[in-house]
Parts: sequence; structure tokens; C-alpha cells
Amino acid sequence: MMKEGVIIKTISIKRQGERKHFQIRLPKDTKFIIGVEYGGRLISRMEGTVEVPAPKAKAKTDAMVIEATHSTADSGAVRDDKPKALFKRNQLVGELKLQSCEEANWFYAADVFGNDANLNWGDFSQAGFPVNDFTHGNKRTEEIVKVDAESTIINGWYLDALGKSQKLDINYEIKVYVWINVEE
Amino acid sequence: MLKATKKRFDIKILVANSTVSETFELEKNIVKVHGVLVTSDKDDLLYYRGTQKIEINKEEFFPDNYESKLLMSGINVAPKQRYYDLGGVAPGNGRVQISYKDLDDGRTVFTPYRVSLYLDCEMEDEL
Repeated sequence: MMKEGVIIKTISIKRQGERKHFQIRLPKDTKFIIGVEYGGRLISRMEGTVEVPAPKAKAKTDAMVIEATHSTADSGAVRDDKPKALFKRNQLVGELKLQSCEEANWFYAADVFGNDANLNWGDFSQAGFPVNDFTHGNKRTEEIVKVDAESTIINGWYLDALGKSQKLDINYEIKVYVWINVEE
Repeated sequence: MLKATKKRFDIKILVANSTVSETFELEKNIVKVHGVLVTSDKDDLLYYRGTQKIEINKEEFFPDNYESKLLMSGINVAPKQRYYDLGGVAPGNGRVQISYKDLDDGRTVFTPYRVSLYLDCEMEDEL
């Protein structure tokens, strides 16, 4: 009988742009790798000494302004010159790649993102109940893969993007969850 | 006759960076555990700081360091889909053990909070 299980690997990142190679050992009776997911924890915000230049007041590099295309005269609305909508870019935390010893190339590659910055889109009832991942987030499920696990070792690679983008040494952990099928 | 029932078990986290382990017992007439869900009175602390191990009948379903956020569902999820599907586990001796670990996260400030473990069960009707 096949049973599901999960193996957790913690990757600790301390320096900006840090690249980590790691191995995940699977139990000997593993038959298949069936899914991968990830999570993370911020340990300390800044340990570096690099100075970050103060953001310019008018710079809007992390947001794209979308104006309504219909004319205000048509709709009868009063023009207030405020942006109608702001899409925020999700914070890229890093890149994660996994390789099985059974096959060439990566079997899993993902951009690791932080919280969904646009979760409150389309919600007009924000007074008193702000939208957050921990209140309005979707149920998380693993990404399904199907890889033989005869050699019981997965090689992994992680590259920091969070510290690099902010020019700071940020101490955080990434947890990689590898779901497996085990023969009982 | 079988009927669906939900069970809730609470633990209190009073000290930062501590581990709290508790064992709960299910009723004898519960025949299957279909799903699991964790919530809290301070969702942000559970989401960012929490990890837990969950065992049912001494069988480990979620190992140490499994993040709580992976077992949470927001209000955007339909009520019938909020539980993590375990696929109908026989409860055996009915003992459910949770070992919850609180760990500092740079985005939160600790304050005592409650963690609730919900189980979606199927029980034999006593009548």
C-alpha cells in the first residue's frame, strides 16, 4: 500500500545574493516525489551595514498606474486626478530549483514570492476588516510533480533575491516541503 | 447511521519561542477523520510564527516544523473546502497529539494567543 509523507528541508539565508546548494534525503522506501511547496520565515530584517538610498518621492518603480479609459464626462463622475488603481508588484524573495538524480535538468523551478501584495483588489469593504493573507488567503496546496525517487536524494539550489534587491543582509529561512509516496 | 461532526481542540501559547504539546481524545464513536484545519484568535501570529507536528493514533501526519500557514484557510475559501483533506483516516485509539512550536518572525510582536485545531470527523450516530 502506498502512503503519503512529507520531508521538510530548511534553508537558512543570511547574506544578500546568497546562493545555497543543498541536498534533501528521502526515506529508502520512497517510490515517487509527488509534490513540492515552500514557506518562509523572516528572522531579522537587517543585519547589514550597507546604506540604502532614500526612495525618491516621485519614483513609482514598484507600481503600475492604470487609469480608467472612459471619459469622466460620459460617466458624469467628477475627476479627482487620483490614480484609479495601483497594481503592486509582489516581493520576489528568491529562486528555488530542485533536481532529481534520476533525470537530467530541474524537475521543479519556482520564483519564491512573499505575501500577495494585491490580495485586496476588488474588495471595497475594507473599513474595519483589512485584507491580509492570514484572514483572506486561499487554501494552500502543493504543486504536483511526479518523479521517480529510486536514488533517494534530491539536489537543490536557492538564490536570494530579497536581500539583493534591498541591498541588505536579511536573515530568513525558506522551508521546502517535498511530498512523497512511500511503500508500506 | 454515520454523520459528519467537527471537533475543536485549543492550546494556549503563553511564552514566545516555546513548544506546547498536548494530547486530545476523540469519542469512541468517531470512525473517520477527514480533514484538519488550524486557526487562532490572532491569525497573524499563527500564520507567521507557527509550526506544528500532528499525530493521530501515533501516526505522524504532519512532521515537526510543518508551517501552520499551510493548514490555514482564509474567509475567501468556501466553508466546505477549508479543511486539509486527510482522506478518511481511521482514528484508532482516538488520540490526537499536537506539538506546536512558536518561533520569532521579524514581522510580528509576540503576545499570548490561542491555537485551535479543528478536525472534520465522521461519527456513528448513537441513536
